[in-house]
Amino acid sequence: MAPPAQTNRSPSPSQPSGKSEVTDLKSQLRQLAGSRLPGVDDSKRELFKKVISYMTIGIDVSSVFGEMVMCSATSDIVLKKMCYLYVGNYAKVNPDLALLTINFLQRDCKDEDPMIRGLALRSLGSLNVANLVEYLVGPLNAGLKDNNSYVRIVAVIGVLKLYHISVTTCIDADFPAVLKHLLLNDQDTQVVANCLLALQEIWNGEASTSGDAMKEREALLSKPFIYYLLNRIKEFSEWAQCLVLDLVVKYVPADSNEIFDIMNLLEDRLQHANGAVVLATAKVFLHLTLSMTDVHQQVYERIKAPLLTLVSSGSPEQSYAVLSHLHLLVMRAPYVFSADYKHFYCQYNEPSYVKKLKLEMLTAVANESSTYEIVTELCEYAANVDIPIARESIRAVGKIALQQYDVNAIVDRLLQFLEMEKDYVTAEALVLVKDLLRKYPQWSHDCIAVVGNISSQNVQEPKAKAALIWMLGEYSQDMSDAPYILESLTENWDEEHSAEVRLHLLTAVMKCFFKRPPETQKALGAALAAGLADFHQDVHDRALFYYRLLQHNVTVAERVVNPPKQAVSVFADTQSSESQRPHF
Amino acid sequence: MPPLMGIEFLCRVADVLSDYLEGLNEDVIKDNFVIVYELLDEMIDNGFPLTTEPSILREMIAPPNIVSKMLSVVTGNSSNMGVTLPGATASCVPWRTTDIKYANNEVYVDLVEEMDAIINRDGVLVKCEIYGEVQVNSHITGVPELTLSFANPSIMDDVSFHPCVRFRPWESHHILSFVPPDGLFKLMSYRVKKLKTTPIYVKPQITSDAGTCRINVMVGIRNDPGKMIDSITVQFQLPSCVLSADLTANHGAVTVFSNKMCSWSIDRIPKDRAPALSGTLLLETGLERLHVFPSFRVGFRIQGVALSGLQLDKLDLRVVPSRLYRGFRALTRSGLYEVRS
Repeated sequence: MAPPAQTNRSPSPSQPSGKSEVTDLKSQLRQLAGSRLPGVDDSKRELFKKVISYMTIGIDVSSVFGEMVMCSATSDIVLKKMCYLYVGNYAKVNPDLALLTINFLQRDCKDEDPMIRGLALRSLGSLNVANLVEYLVGPLNAGLKDNNSYVRIVAVIGVLKLYHISVTTCIDADFPAVLKHLLLNDQDTQVVANCLLALQEIWNGEASTSGDAMKEREALLSKPFIYYLLNRIKEFSEWAQCLVLDLVVKYVPADSNEIFDIMNLLEDRLQHANGAVVLATAKVFLHLTLSMTDVHQQVYERIKAPLLTLVSSGSPEQSYAVLSHLHLLVMRAPYVFSADYKHFYCQYNEPSYVKKLKLEMLTAVANESSTYEIVTELCEYAANVDIPIARESIRAVGKIALQQYDVNAIVDRLLQFLEMEKDYVTAEALVLVKDLLRKYPQWSHDCIAVVGNISSQNVQEPKAKAALIWMLGEYSQDMSDAPYILESLTENWDEEHSAEVRLHLLTAVMKCFFKRPPETQKALGAALAAGLADFHQDVHDRALFYYRLLQHNVTVAERVVNPPKQAVSVFADTQSSESQRPHF
Repeated sequence: MPPLMGIEFLCRVADVLSDYLEGLNEDVIKDNFVIVYELLDEMIDNGFPLTTEPSILREMIAPPNIVSKMLSVVTGNSSNMGVTLPGATASCVPWRTTDIKYANNEVYVDLVEEMDAIINRDGVLVKCEIYGEVQVNSHITGVPELTLSFANPSIMDDVSFHPCVRFRPWESHHILSFVPPDGLFKLMSYRVKKLKTTPIYVKPQITSDAGTCRINVMVGIRNDPGKMIDSITVQFQLPSCVLSADLTANHGAVTVFSNKMCSWSIDRIPKDRAPALSGTLLLETGLERLHVFPSFRVGFRIQGVALSGLQLDKLDLRVVPSRLYRGFRALTRSGLYEVRS
């Protein structure tokens, strides 16, 4: 879509331009400060908006602090909010001036309107100045006993803020005990949740110094308390549910009956609309059943459906997070997901990090029945515009080929790739064909027929070139042009930058010599000469070694360089040890 | 912190902000930063999420809209804070206040479905799934209890519910029993998979020869769903090796944008002919054939039918108020519908 045309907008208060504006504001505020005219609230609001917008952009408006405080004597809530926001931001820099606002804040804490009480408490808590904390304790105490739950919610978080400003004041005023009382007895679930959050943080902070705090922390994980929370879990808000579930993970149940009880209770959380709740519940299930292997498998089945739905709905970031978790599960138990491989098909407009993860999972879940379809799908991606994804998908086809026993169709596909005229496709495919031949030498005839047609000029990448050269050397008896291709490559020795390619070239020429001596003799001589003159240490040493071997005894040399080989059964790097470690 | 909580919360904040400000971009935030500050203040405190239900937030902080702007100009009162605390924070059903009154009670149920499909170049359906939502818009007096049941709930593969839905009746009889929040909300979302048929087909054909490429795309209806399919669009991205494109269509409008995205909007398929797009693409010099084939993204909308086959059975209230109007609609849209060439 063409970008929308730039509109001419008049400068709004959020587009300020300079420092002189600040002094202007100062004088304007001072004018309005004592005024009681009816229209003054509106003009105050406009000015406050400007001050806040400057503050947000980063211009320093701390010099208007005094005037702001003077103007904050008002009954308009929006003005109060803006004023307290400003004060909270600058209080650290101007602690003495902050003292002026304490009066207003304390008065507001006793206001009739619970929203104003809550607002004042929240702002008091955000002041973050150490010598003002004694003014915080009284209103907090009153707030915790307030009969309106909104104020209690704010007061609880205020206690936590106080703890972070000044630990001793918080503990001396005995707030943790009050919070604990609220935690166990309050009706409103949001208050309970906030108490849980605050107490966890406070006790975690205290546990290193105080034995009491450690005991309290253990008490949180006791059976009656956990059951109390679990029984009320549906009444909590969705974010509080995540918090409770996080706590449940740390709980150690006494026996398997308890485990089943807890799982039955939490079963319906898997169908919550919020993905975080679903994932947290899945974590609880997996953690609880770690020791019971067959139930653990059943848990995989149960959480499969909600997790797969989460992958496809929601933003790419959510998809990626859920996919990473699924990746872990798939690595541990691929057969559980083998029927659902269609979920891991990539849509063409997904971001590449999501596609990459999906490709890895497709290789993991492939089994005999689904191999054909998965490989077909992967071949579609090879024609993709996105080059790294195309490469990854070709490698994925190769990985599947190495894992499975029945590789007919896959070999055909790989050979088709070689005939595509794109150089990166050919390069990746060559590397894979080489690995395939190491494992399944019986396919050599078909592969060699196609590989022989590839002109070596088209292949530029070092890995692919090395693969091609290896094949030329290994199967030189079948490929009629092998010695001549090797000869032309040797003539370009000096232009060959990659040491890996040069090493392979040496070995390949040797092997070719043993099989077809008359044709390769000249190439061998040239290669050895060039190798001995090469500045790279490995190439030089290998050339010297071959030269001396040949001088010593040609048959021994053949045994060393080209013995009869067995097919490789399992490649070491396909087994990853990471998936075996416990992760929950 | 549990995994996904941060990401879900950020998505929720974005949803709430775009709901309030009708859009979400830099300019909108700059113009309404006071509302944004207020909302953020209520939604999260000291790093922990508090209230994110949009209906509750609306009672605490009124959204900026034309009416309130006009009111504020007329009466000189531009405070948008409610004078009293919303009754919802004190009631046991936290998503609904207790003192709602309407003269006309009405409830509308919408089935909104999105179809995701991948079709490969032979026209074979590789994957097809439908993600659907049941959206309810209710304006009912008091605190009503609704029950909603489906004729064929077993086709739904995976469901997730709004917190207001009670779980036991669903588990035993597949009945949704709930006290709805006031206004519009998403009651449940579901997934139906293993669909076999798609309503429209798109047949692309690309042949290349000595530096130019001919492209031909045909669109038609297959498995007529019974209702009119409209807003049909076909979009595809030209590969970077294509220098220019010359495309014409016998129905609808074709536009080629500067970033090589082509968009063909058909809207409705006419009865007398099948819409077809044809044209030539000029490849860059030296390239004989096209190697990378674009994927076509199809958009469509069908009103009045839910392609998954899901049907509502009945919608009841426990205590029926004097005048209750019930309405039901279905809508299917294309989600990520991709045809490969």
